Amino acid sequence: GLVQSCGHIIPESPVLALGSNFTALCILNESCLDFGNIYASQIIWKIKNRVVPKEQYREINRTVSSVTFNDTSSLDSPLTCNILADGQIEQNIYGITVTVGLPPEKPKNLSCIVHQVLQFTYPMTCTWNPGRHTYLDTEFRLIHRWPQENFPDCIPKDVNNSCTISDVQFFVNLDIWVEAANALGKAESDRLVLDPIEIVKPLPPHNLSVNSGILPTVLKLSWENRISTALMKLKFNIRYKIAGDTKWMQVPPEDIASPRTSFTVQGLKPYIEYVFSIRCMKEDGVGYWSDWSEEKTGVTTED
Amino acid sequence: LGTSQSIQKTYDLTRYLEHQLRTLAGTYLNYLGPPFNEPDFNPPRLARAERVPSATVDLDLWRGLTDNARLAANYRAYSRLLCYLRALDGQAATADLRHRLGHFCSSLQGLVLSIAGVMSSLGYPLPVGPVVGPPTGPPSSPLVVAPNDFLKKMDDFWLLKELQTWLWRSAKDFNRLKKKVPPAVVTLRLEARGF
Amino acid sequence: SPTDSHIQYERVGADVTMKCGSMDWDAAVTWTANGTDIDESHLNGSYLILKNVDLTQSGQYSCYEGSSWHLKYQTYLRVGIPPKEPVLMCRSNNYPKGFYCSWHLPTPTYIPNSFNISVIHGTREMVCEKDAFPRNRCHIRYLQLFSTVKYKVTLTVTNALGKNSTTLTFDEFAIVKPDPPESVVAKPVPSNPRRLEVSWKNPSSWPDPDSFPLKFFLRYRPLILDQWQHVELSDGTSHTITDAYAGKEYIIQVAAKDNDIGTWSDWSVAVHATPWTEEPMYLTTEAQLTETTSASTSSFMPPPTTKICDKGAVVGS
Repeated sequence: GLVQSCGHIIPESPVLALGSNFTALCILNESCLDFGNIYASQIIWKIKNRVVPKEQYREINRTVSSVTFNDTSSLDSPLTCNILADGQIEQNIYGITVTVGLPPEKPKNLSCIVHQVLQFTYPMTCTWNPGRHTYLDTEFRLIHRWPQENFPDCIPKDVNNSCTISDVQFFVNLDIWVEAANALGKAESDRLVLDPIEIVKPLPPHNLSVNSGILPTVLKLSWENRISTALMKLKFNIRYKIAGDTKWMQVPPEDIASPRTSFTVQGLKPYIEYVFSIRCMKEDGVGYWSDWSEEKTGVTTED
Repeated sequence: LGTSQSIQKTYDLTRYLEHQLRTLAGTYLNYLGPPFNEPDFNPPRLARAERVPSATVDLDLWRGLTDNARLAANYRAYSRLLCYLRALDGQAATADLRHRLGHFCSSLQGLVLSIAGVMSSLGYPLPVGPVVGPPTGPPSSPLVVAPNDFLKKMDDFWLLKELQTWLWRSAKDFNRLKKKVPPAVVTLRLEARGF
Repeated sequence: SPTDSHIQYERVGADVTMKCGSMDWDAAVTWTANGTDIDESHLNGSYLILKNVDLTQSGQYSCYEGSSWHLKYQTYLRVGIPPKEPVLMCRSNNYPKGFYCSWHLPTPTYIPNSFNISVIHGTREMVCEKDAFPRNRCHIRYLQLFSTVKYKVTLTVTNALGKNSTTLTFDEFAIVKPDPPESVVAKPVPSNPRRLEVSWKNPSSWPDPDSFPLKFFLRYRPLILDQWQHVELSDGTSHTITDAYAGKEYIIQVAAKDNDIGTWSDWSVAVHATPWTEEPMYLTTEAQLTETTSASTSSFMPPPTTKICDKGAVVGS
């Protein structure tokens, strides 16, 4: 058999756009011609073990044969160049891996949310629609910048449609966009320009306590807010139901639309156990409601 | 972003920085240990610490500052304070403290940019000169290195105190600016300049 | 001459010996205290001996020559104590104009004291201009703002029996404490049985609320309860209470603080108000005989004694 490689294929390991056309050349080494009495006309192209129809071949010259595919969809790996010399068995000359895929689409629907995790820790998670499957290794990067300050890009792990920036800064508008790149191209999402303070989902109030007062139709709620007033002022929703009931009632939102740490719920039934829960968001309504707090119960006094 | 809105954001950022610094400075001074974390500690201010931009200003002078001068003073101060703080940031022993200092430095950088944004929206030129230390690599420490650890800690003490004081001053500065720059007026002036 | 107004200060508990001017020890003399003869037992020769003097022994002491009743010596004895460490307080209620310091002695000395105050800022001595009233107070005008250098105020009190002093060292921002908000008014909101509208004004002593905005703390409770509810408000000088007990009289107070620095003021004067109710309420408390929103003088008004009042009086108008 032939020890030294008698030829090679170019392009070496192409990455090709799905649906495009592709031509490969198999180039025989001059040295092999004398030895094996072989010619380009004897070249047989194969995909895996399937012979490519001869109509797609073209003998460029004595040492070069090309094969053309009008639609790369039919392509697969490996694409091999083989020689069937007179009276001999078919001999492989060279093979390449062909990767077929698509350039990334423009990532869409980029949206971000800042989840409060601790008093001073605010990771921002952005999600986007990565677009069609590209069949290729496609890297996504979440890029966020101030006009004159670059922050390290956020590289998603194990997913391609979201990334979390560990600790975001507030009160300075941030340019945010997603970049998708693979061997066939690059695409950028539209840019978001926002102040992260506008997309905060605060932690719910905690240490909620329910105290019965002197009046049998009243219960007083007290709680602690977990986001600093230096960051934002809050408004609240309070819901309550009779223990065991499924239907929640709400305190009129306009009654709790300003910063506070307590509220007296009135108009309750005497000597009944009620369940309460509270949530909060930025006072001007910009951002997200927190989750509902842990539920707490209280019993109104007897009439 | 309208000018008055960016002044408001700059004000909010100043107050949030001040809020963060209160706990951060407490943590850092505890890290430095006594006497630096004692409320009544009142060390002399040595030459090195004198380089840190002082917020102290003559009252009548401060009142009479033009908007441009007021903003420029803030811009210059925080640009230099940022350098010093970055020098501080590098040595803090605990990872958490380093992270919080790093985050604070980034916030402070945001303040410098915000002030610059307000100045440009008002048509004022930024102060000339090396504004901010090199963003990466060991900060060119404008502070001549203190001869011993105690004096180094003293410099850190004065840096944090001066920074806290600057943030109080800036809050007042931006209050004055907020009152003087209503949205409508600015739009008019910008149009007049063919923006 | 003997009649010169000569004052002699002595500590409580001291033993006092008075000589009869230039008279010899064995000369015959008579001593009077405020014109009353002093018993011979207090005399040692012509010397007057007063043991373990107390405050009541302050007065005018005169010595007369035995036979001629010629006044040979007269003094005014003032029994007192040396000053204790004075209590000094400095506060800036008109930031950034300046600050004032006021002082008092923890216990009286019963004799005249003189006070001297020195204010040092870094290397600079500042003038503390005495106020006409109250006399134990002076104020300092800020020349510089936003200083990281502490102020050192030393008050020295001196009287004939001793001297004492107190020193305060503080940062400019630590002593900022506004006066309470003024003109606090609370009103019911028509057709809203659970709402009360509260408004107030910045303390008039606060010179520049635009550059130095105040934030406020409002506390309110129905008279029937002891526990206050609190709300912190960072801008504006009004607030609507939305969870008032229907028909119950409320007591409301407000405090103020600089938005960034210093400490909270004392609570404002308390005001009372009762939320709007469907039909006229029978007056239940004496307080409602007066205006619905009445300002009481003390910073905290004890709940008025509840008395059944005339039906005719209408509340919540």
